[in-house]
Amino acid sequence: MRRLTLLFTCLALLASCDQVDCTLDNSVSYTCNFYSEGSKVTLNDVITVTACGTDSVLINKMQGVPGIELPMSYWNEQDTLVLHITGNGYEMKDTIWVKKNNIPHFESPDCPTKMFHFITEVNSTHTFIDSLSLVNPTVNYADVENIQIHFRSAD
Amino acid sequence: MLMLKISKYISVLLISLVATTAYAQTQQNDIAKEAKAVADTIAANQKNKKTPFISGAAISIDVCGLAMKALDSRFANMEASARLNFKEKYFPIFELGLGDCTREGEENNNVFSTTAPYFRVGMDYNFNKKHNGNRMFGGIRYAFSSFNYNFENPDFTDEAWGVHDPLVLHDIKGKAQWAEIVFGVETKLWSIVRLGYNVRYKMRIKQSGNNWGDPWYVPGFGRNGGSAWGGSVNLTFDVGKTARKNKPKLAI
Repeated sequence: MRRLTLLFTCLALLASCDQVDCTLDNSVSYTCNFYSEGSKVTLNDVITVTACGTDSVLINKMQGVPGIELPMSYWNEQDTLVLHITGNGYEMKDTIWVKKNNIPHFESPDCPTKMFHFITEVNSTHTFIDSLSLVNPTVNYADVENIQIHFRSAD
Repeated sequence: MLMLKISKYISVLLISLVATTAYAQTQQNDIAKEAKAVADTIAANQKNKKTPFISGAAISIDVCGLAMKALDSRFANMEASARLNFKEKYFPIFELGLGDCTREGEENNNVFSTTAPYFRVGMDYNFNKKHNGNRMFGGIRYAFSSFNYNFENPDFTDEAWGVHDPLVLHDIKGKAQWAEIVFGVETKLWSIVRLGYNVRYKMRIKQSGNNWGDPWYVPGFGRNGGSAWGGSVNLTFDVGKTARKNKPKLAI
């Protein structure tokens, strides 16, 4: 009986152990990579991205990057982004619309709450963007390419 | 004359011997018959004492779950059970409980909550061969719960867009099925009152939740995961043919 009591006590102690397992890489953003004539390219011009409806600058004067990672609004059904490109003697703007469904996500009361998204449609004003391809509509913790931005060719 | 006397004595002696032997034989037969009768009576009594097929029924409450609720624990499974007793060996059992959980984040203001019933059916086997009031159980259970759960984050803020809008998700539907392996002991306290405790190893069979997130706690299972440990302290009211006969008697 003493052994039984000891066994049960050990099991009770084992059961009382508590762990907090939160995802470490818990930033939610979507990745847009740059393409030209079907090939992945690095943008040597300076790019700045702002969002309509907020004063925040999402991307501030980045240069020499193959793509950009952008946050999504938690509650809007559509994000409107303005891409500012500044090159040697020129400045251009293009607007992108991203329609999406917002999906709240939680793991545990101890972990941060996040908003996942499912992109349903992307479009642009086609100033310097030729087309947009939605390759992975799910936006969550996964670090994957979501949208391909195809630039107009120089000619 | 002498020869006649001698033969007379021998005859008397022989007759006495035969008579004595016959009497002794009769006596032996009587003793054997009596012994057989006693043996038959004992066998018949033992046969009559054989454990009946349906030996009783019992209801139990888990005092541990009630105590956890009273102590305002993070979660509590309050349950009662009903079981039958077949031949003091097999105990088919049905358990009904109410799982309750309100869990706040340790470093934030998130709150998970649910209150829902759960059900278990299964069978216990009594390993104790002696009918001395003690039972040592091993058993299995199939358990099921269909429940709604809530999750709230009052500080939910979209930092990039600068929007603070509390996240309130209520009545998210969830279902869970799991199996349990049970080991426990039980002893008679007084009359029909028994006290026992058990430990359980729980293994998830199936769970369906929501895209928003899995429940932190599943009623009856405990903290959500592939497996969990649990247990209960049961106060049992046992009625039936063997319930009162378990008191050891002196052999007189």
